[in-house]
Amino acid sequence: MENNKPELLFEDLPEGRVFRPMVFEINRERVNTFMETVGDHHPLYWDQKIAKSLGGPIAPPGLAAVFARLSYLQDNTMPSGGILAKQEFEFQAPAQVGDTLTVQARVFESYLDEKGRRRVNFLIQAWNQDRKEICLIRLYAIWPK
Amino acid sequence: MSLKAGGELPHITKDIDQERILRWAKLSGDFNRLHVDPEYARETPFKGTIAHGPMSLAFLNELMMNCLGEGWVNGGRLLDVRFLAPIRPSDQIVIKGRVEALYQEGGTHWAECHLSITKADGQVAVTGRAVGPLKETAS
Repeated sequence: MENNKPELLFEDLPEGRVFRPMVFEINRERVNTFMETVGDHHPLYWDQKIAKSLGGPIAPPGLAAVFARLSYLQDNTMPSGGILAKQEFEFQAPAQVGDTLTVQARVFESYLDEKGRRRVNFLIQAWNQDRKEICLIRLYAIWPK
Repeated sequence: MSLKAGGELPHITKDIDQERILRWAKLSGDFNRLHVDPEYARETPFKGTIAHGPMSLAFLNELMMNCLGEGWVNGGRLLDVRFLAPIRPSDQIVIKGRVEALYQEGGTHWAECHLSITKADGQVAVTGRAVGPLKETAS
């Protein structure tokens, strides 16, 4: 359980820290769960014929919001009270259902702002099993402690 | 889908409830009590549970997939997404977009859109910007 892991603290997040790569499977069950949860049933996620030109059904791009967060919390939990201030995504290529992604997070900024708030900004890259770039994410957070 | 500058994207409406928030917690592994524990959340400044921010990102992506299809995952960019107000169980939200500009660059037609998620009382919960290629509609 995530609860057994130590909290990820501001002092653990110096600028330049690179987290260990995380493996994230884009399997049918995960895609179906996403579609049901979000209520997004775009045919490119499940219809073989419509997705044929892409090589088959693709992952919903919104799944990137899931693996982005997990990539820096593999060994820790998020302390309560954090604020997700801003987030950005660049979708470089579709991930196929059946792909195995490697996701790696790096702290590109870590500082106290003018109000004394702990700012931590992550750059997160996902590749598929062929090392093709799938998605680049910038996540800007206010860290609680 | 044919887009024109100044035009609105077809909006999406979602009903948020605690069950959907719990399902997102299971999907994402984010079981922060602020999201999943109503009794705990009542004692916080939020006075109740709130939806996970990344769920809103999924809704914005749904809007752009509906408009740009495969183009969105082949060069689409979701930019400057800001979380302005919490989304709570029982909120009905509307995910909207407006085409700010259409232009050609590097042989590709692009659309730039302003995005928002608005609650039933008119409060804007999330804003952002999307830039994506019109691969399906440019030909």
